[in-house]
Amino acid sequence: MLGIVGRADPARRPKYGGTLRVEIGAVVNSPDPAVAAANPEEAAAKERISALLYERRNADGTFAGVAGSGPFRLAEWDPGKHATLAANPEFRGGRAFLDSIEIQMGRAARDRLLDLEVDKADFAEIPPEEARRATERGVRVSTSQPDELLAIAFVAGRPIAEDARAREALSRSIDRAAIVNFILQKEGEAAGGLLPQWSSGTAFLFSTTVDPAGAKSLWSQISGSPKIVLGYDASDSLAQSVAERIVVNARDAGISVTAEGTPAGANAPADCDARIVRLPMAAPHPAMALTHFLAALGPGSGIDATPLADGASPQQIYDRERAIVSGYRVVPIVWLPQVYGLGARVRDWKAPAAGEGWPFADVWIGDAQ
Amino acid sequence: MTFRTKLFVVFMLALLLSIGVVAVGVAVVTRRAFEESNRQHSEALVTQFEREFAHHEQEVTNRVQGVADAEATVAMAIALSRPKADVSVYVNDARGVSQSHQLDFLDFIASDGSIISSNEWPARFGYKIDWITQPQDWSGAGSFLMKVDTQEGPALGLMSVSTVRVGDKDLYVLGGERLGKDFLASLVLPEGMRALLYLNLDPNFQPTNLVDEAGTVTEGERLASIVAEEQQNPSKRTFKVAWTPDPASAEAFHALPLLGRQKEVLGVLLVGSSQREEAALERRILLLALGVSAMGLLFGLILSWWGAARVTRPVRKLAEGAREVSEGNWAAHVEVRGRNEVAQLALAFNKMTQQLTEQRERLVQAERVAAWRELARRLAHELKNPLFPLQTTVENLQRAKEQNFDQFEEVFRESTGILLAEIENLKNIVGRFSDFAKMPQPELGPVNLNDVVRGIVKLFEAQFGAVGRPPITPELHLEEGLPTIQADATLLHRSIENLVLNAMDAMPAGGVLMLRTTHENGNVDLEVSDTGTGLTPEETDRLFTPYYTTKQHGTGLGLAIVQSVVSDHGGRIWVESETGVGTSFHIRLPQKPPQRPAAASSPAGESATAESAAGAEV
Repeated sequence: MLGIVGRADPARRPKYGGTLRVEIGAVVNSPDPAVAAANPEEAAAKERISALLYERRNADGTFAGVAGSGPFRLAEWDPGKHATLAANPEFRGGRAFLDSIEIQMGRAARDRLLDLEVDKADFAEIPPEEARRATERGVRVSTSQPDELLAIAFVAGRPIAEDARAREALSRSIDRAAIVNFILQKEGEAAGGLLPQWSSGTAFLFSTTVDPAGAKSLWSQISGSPKIVLGYDASDSLAQSVAERIVVNARDAGISVTAEGTPAGANAPADCDARIVRLPMAAPHPAMALTHFLAALGPGSGIDATPLADGASPQQIYDRERAIVSGYRVVPIVWLPQVYGLGARVRDWKAPAAGEGWPFADVWIGDAQ
Repeated sequence: MTFRTKLFVVFMLALLLSIGVVAVGVAVVTRRAFEESNRQHSEALVTQFEREFAHHEQEVTNRVQGVADAEATVAMAIALSRPKADVSVYVNDARGVSQSHQLDFLDFIASDGSIISSNEWPARFGYKIDWITQPQDWSGAGSFLMKVDTQEGPALGLMSVSTVRVGDKDLYVLGGERLGKDFLASLVLPEGMRALLYLNLDPNFQPTNLVDEAGTVTEGERLASIVAEEQQNPSKRTFKVAWTPDPASAEAFHALPLLGRQKEVLGVLLVGSSQREEAALERRILLLALGVSAMGLLFGLILSWWGAARVTRPVRKLAEGAREVSEGNWAAHVEVRGRNEVAQLALAFNKMTQQLTEQRERLVQAERVAAWRELARRLAHELKNPLFPLQTTVENLQRAKEQNFDQFEEVFRESTGILLAEIENLKNIVGRFSDFAKMPQPELGPVNLNDVVRGIVKLFEAQFGAVGRPPITPELHLEEGLPTIQADATLLHRSIENLVLNAMDAMPAGGVLMLRTTHENGNVDLEVSDTGTGLTPEETDRLFTPYYTTKQHGTGLGLAIVQSVVSDHGGRIWVESETGVGTSFHIRLPQKPPQRPAAASSPAGESATAESAAGAEV
């Protein structure tokens, strides 16, 4: 689904000028792509900002050229707090409509939503589970295609993680539909495979049905009193909610699972058998997306991380995806869309495709309605 | 130990025993009174706690009912009553509502029993709680205890259920308060009282499940047995726990089982009331009792001492009187007060001493008469011997003048010679008596007794081995280094000479004369022993009586003189004798005789009379 939910902006002729007030939750300490991000959230935000500053990318996705060669250049940078991007009049694609973009970093989701409501912000990221409430509160919401996979990645080498029956039992016990309906408030899709339906076209072939009886049967085959410690990013409320729900589902199937929050950006602690991970799609193309997933998951989860060959056929992509999913080392849970809140002045906003940056070069500021 | 001391000890023991008995009695009575007071106090506190608990139950019921009555809840019930209602909208509602209504637990439950929203375990949405849909009138059910599953694990909750009915569908509101340290802290309890709660969430006793308002109770395992008893046989119990050896740390507990809807034991409430005040009061009473006892003891001690002195004073005086009597003061008189037994005893004593005095006077009189008679007899005997030759000589002289005038001159010459000799003899007899009567006071000076003894032995050396009589062998055992004494050497010499002469007279068939000197405790001892014929006990008893003698030609004054000399030197003399074996005279003289007034020296006759009455030892 791609579009804008809420009050539609009337088609008007674009005009130059104005400052777009952006609020994000991440804290970006340096705009330099060469400086490593402290956590995935910072990395994603840094990617978005860099996409506004650089003209082009290399084949591997890294940015090419010099900073400021993109539609905007960096006018002001207060590390971790605030950034101002000014329009680059020499941009090869033409000057952006906006004069500048003011980015407030480290804003909590609730504050971002409030600022949108009181018109203190023009653009903000909204957690998917808050989309419904934001809409009910009159905020313009833009939702992308589901392009971020929330999954369980088992930690290779952990005894219980090496037991395929335990992995499958946990996968079968998860009520994905309930997670989508209740936790995500129906913003997202239950995930049985690694690629979304809109990208691969084969997602429907992967089951998302909850099977507590099957899970119980599998778990009972495991001797001893096994227990799975499921880690999640303690700063990620959605991951926490999902982890807690998985604990309930697992308990219903007789599986002993403990959810354990870990500091933001930290690797899974030594006693975690599995962890909740977010896997954003690097590109809409299934082969590229799957290759990126494998690269992200491979080192720690014990899956075959060999990249797909260029020009892999849909069947090859499916087979590879099926092979990975059948191993249950990665258990897909839900697909999440990117949800943005838009202020009343924002015109010509289109949700970016998977792997793309914010298309602020095409956005212009109109009169508030 | 004196009688007074004994009496004092008896008094004190009696007093101590009395105080001990009273103290134990008071302690027992006080303890029982305190225990009864504690029991009543604790029961009052428990009743107050139960009221407080009931108040909380009602409060929880009201709050849950308040949630059910809220517009949002009613709107939710209306929305859910519609076909194909979307319950996911309400999945997060319980959290906010529970906070606004101050409920720890809150679940919105659909008519089929499935959880719509849960505060204590948000991820539990969609799961069913079957028991809540069982036919029951929840409106009158009030509060109940329940084991609540939460995200963190099981907990104990004071729960209530309210329903919102729309059409034929019920929306259940299950809410409550967590029973734990916060709940305990919210209870208004009197000072000195605390409530502990054991959460019966595990099959076995877990110390971490025992909490008070501050959290986990330290040393909670000490209450494990009580909890186990409650788990097996739930009932109200009372017990006491001393946390430390200090009695003030003791705590009286009332254990109340907390039962669930199925009468299962979900928890044990332990209402403890500190015994600190009671212990302090008990300690104060104890200290007061100790103080009073000490004062009483001191007072009793003084009183006992005074009482013992008062009671024993007549007895002591009696004892003093008896001692005076024993020392020779037969005129001792004891003051008589009152009419009690001691007074009667004193009267009897006085009467006895009076009788003794009278008897002694009579005895002295008799002794004097006897002594005079003995003196007269001795004088008569002594004088009769020279008188008879005098008479015979005078008669011969008369006869010669009348019948043989020629021989008269010769007879006259012989007769006058005889007369002069006998007159001289008479003068000697009179002189000896006169000498005894005129015993001089000793003139003291440093005297070595060994030297005196050696001098006497040397003096008698010739007589010991004289021709014509069996030999006497002198044996001297004189202690070297014998200290000098203050004595009259002449009188001592004369006394010892007398003893030696007596010994020689006692050994007509010869024998051994042993003289031994020793010293001990500031005294010098002399023993003069012979191996002669010995004395009979009767003779021994009268040996020192003046004018008494066992010899044919003795005056009976020798030993009386010896005794008088020894007495004048502050010493004493005694005799040991066995018939056929021999006799030993012992003289003990102080190194320095006590100062005696000149008048104290009694006439030998009187002294000898008294000493002879005392026996062989003088």
